[in-house]
Amino acid sequence: MIQAENVCMQYFRKTGAANFFYAVQPVSLQVQEDSLTVLMGRSGSGKTTLLNMLSGLQKPSSGSVLLGDTDLYSLRDRDLSRLRSEKIGVVPQGRSAVDTLTVMGNILLPEMLTGRPLPVSGAEGWMEKLGILNLKDAMPSQLSGGELRRMAIARALSQQPDVLFADEPTGDLDDENTHLVFRIFKAYAHEEHKAVFIVTHENDALQYADLVFRMDAGKITGPSPFPPSPA
Amino acid sequence: MKKTRIPAIVMLLLSSLASLGVRTFLSPCVHEDGSLAACHGAGQMLLGLGCVLAVLSLLCLFSSRAAFGAYLSAMPVCILGILTPGTIMNLCLMGTMRCHTVMQPAMILLFSGALLCALTGAVLSAGKKAL
Amino acid sequence: MNIFSLAFKNLTRKGRRTAVLILLTAFLSLAVFGGSVMILSLQSGLNSLEARLGADIILVPSQAQSKVSFQNMFLQGTTGAFYMDASALDKVMEVEGVEKAAPQTFLASLKADCCSIRIQVIGIDPEKDFTVQPWIARSLSRELGDMDVAVGCKVEADVGEIIRIYDMRCKVVARLEPTGTGLDTAVYCSMETMAELLRAAEEKGVSHKIESGDDVISAVYVKVRDGYDIDTVNSRLNGHIRKATAVRTRSMITGVSDSLAGVSRTITVLIAAVWVLAFIILLLSFALIVRERAREFAVFRLAGASVSMLGSMVMLESALCGLAGGLAGTGAAALVLFPFSRLIENALNLPYLMPGLTQVLLLGVLTVVLSVAVSALSSTMAAYRLSRVNPGTALREGN
Repeated sequence: MIQAENVCMQYFRKTGAANFFYAVQPVSLQVQEDSLTVLMGRSGSGKTTLLNMLSGLQKPSSGSVLLGDTDLYSLRDRDLSRLRSEKIGVVPQGRSAVDTLTVMGNILLPEMLTGRPLPVSGAEGWMEKLGILNLKDAMPSQLSGGELRRMAIARALSQQPDVLFADEPTGDLDDENTHLVFRIFKAYAHEEHKAVFIVTHENDALQYADLVFRMDAGKITGPSPFPPSPA
Repeated sequence: MKKTRIPAIVMLLLSSLASLGVRTFLSPCVHEDGSLAACHGAGQMLLGLGCVLAVLSLLCLFSSRAAFGAYLSAMPVCILGILTPGTIMNLCLMGTMRCHTVMQPAMILLFSGALLCALTGAVLSAGKKAL
Repeated sequence: MNIFSLAFKNLTRKGRRTAVLILLTAFLSLAVFGGSVMILSLQSGLNSLEARLGADIILVPSQAQSKVSFQNMFLQGTTGAFYMDASALDKVMEVEGVEKAAPQTFLASLKADCCSIRIQVIGIDPEKDFTVQPWIARSLSRELGDMDVAVGCKVEADVGEIIRIYDMRCKVVARLEPTGTGLDTAVYCSMETMAELLRAAEEKGVSHKIESGDDVISAVYVKVRDGYDIDTVNSRLNGHIRKATAVRTRSMITGVSDSLAGVSRTITVLIAAVWVLAFIILLLSFALIVRERAREFAVFRLAGASVSMLGSMVMLESALCGLAGGLAGTGAAALVLFPFSRLIENALNLPYLMPGLTQVLLLGVLTVVLSVAVSALSSTMAAYRLSRVNPGTALREGN
């Protein structure tokens, strides 16, 4: 589904022995449909940078990212934006609400921006599953961190993307909701035949993963063999 | 309730400004020898109209039942306020005098603003009534 | 929902930020519209003064000496009365190079007569007059009859009304168009009426006719024949007529036009200063706003907004602020300028004639367009910076 070929992210460093350092060392990987891929690693290891590069949000220093046959970074900004809106869902790290829109407005934002029909009932379905349907008319400022997180997840899922990227999606969630979210992601991958790629440092994710990569100081290892699924 | 009060508050401010102003910084002409200028009467009339409007504004502000009627009554008072200087009552003969350069335009502005408030207030309180 | 409604929502939901931006552009528009109307008014005032002073030379009694007091009559409408023998008119006509000469007689009313201040009464000879008469003719199709008066636009008496000057009943037969000069505060009558008024004034014990005979005039307006040098004719007049001084009108107008140029320059500099300041503040504000909203914009990008879409949204938001501010500022300026134009005129002490409605409307529209354009322009830099920000980086930095 998504194929990265020799992507890397280099930054110029003014001091030190070397002029450049790698935030992400050259890596090739595939994010497959029907599977939930998990990328584990300590903070600062380059996970988010890799996710941003794979999801079309940050152009790699070199290498290419293909969605099907389309090289994401060969597209013009307008086409890439549309493609992202239609085929790639991203749950970013931290707060990702537009304060001037209601929760429902935030969830339907991708469709609003591209003028597609608004998937209201679909959005309500995801909100119900995530336990935030009662908040649909609330403003983001009235929501807790966990609720905002679930709102971002509902937004990404409502897009019905071919590939869903989530960066520490359970960061602000309690145990119960953490498992709920992982279950939903797993079901989305398997039942809807989509690809889900999660960046996390929580070991809880492992029990839901179909494929696990690890990252350390910009260097990726794996995929490791499928871990056993929970009974 | 809150919405219908806003025009009343603005109207109260404008009418107070008209009443106080016409006795102070927006006053009609004053003769050096202390005799009454031709515009004196208009000034007195404006003072009276300003006071009546202030009372009506208070009524709009504190009695939601009387608000609609008070807003309606305020309208002719405002129109009188606009027409008093120069049209209903004479001002001084010379257009360069204070009553023409200061009092008349200021009063027309203040009473026009109040008229706008009265209209808005009447519409808002009528809507309230219908609900 | 489209970009327009999104921009509108962003503005309404962030009321305080929007209010500040609107206030800033309103201030800008107020300065531009107010300043431009004032400059235009001063210019048309000067033009009007030139038209009304259609003479090349004015001859006044030496006692009036009086470029200054005479000028004040024209500019501020102060009252004045000075007399010379009517034979001065014939003497003027004797001078070589004089094409036309028209006499005027001045009289100042008493305070108590009709109103709270003195009014300048000007007697003209409709047949000879070439300065005031054409102006009167625009409002009155016949000649001024016995005890008829035409009043300047700032004399608040309606046509048909009777005003009393030295206890004489004078009928107002016309109200004249505004000139923006001191002439607007005067009352005009025929020489015959003036003679009666002078007599009435004498009876009241107010005699201005020092050492002059019964037949007096106050000034002679002179038009110089083509081909003659005005200065030469002026010197000839000064040499030929005793106890009178000939003054070139150009020197009066030059004085006025100099002060007018000074005022206009000051206003222009002020407008420019306000513009530069407001533009810089707007530029900084938008830069700060974009920085503050970096994460929000990153979310938009995440949701599929292209750089150009976001750029248009930012520019649309600022243009909407510019529109609201432009309307508010122009409106506020109009609320002060138009009702209080006479107060401004009094304070400026210069010829001041408001431009016509079409001109004012055009100026208003231009000001609003300018305000929108400046706001949109000042946000382009912010929009450009926005296009350089990587959404991935912005999302991380915002954490």
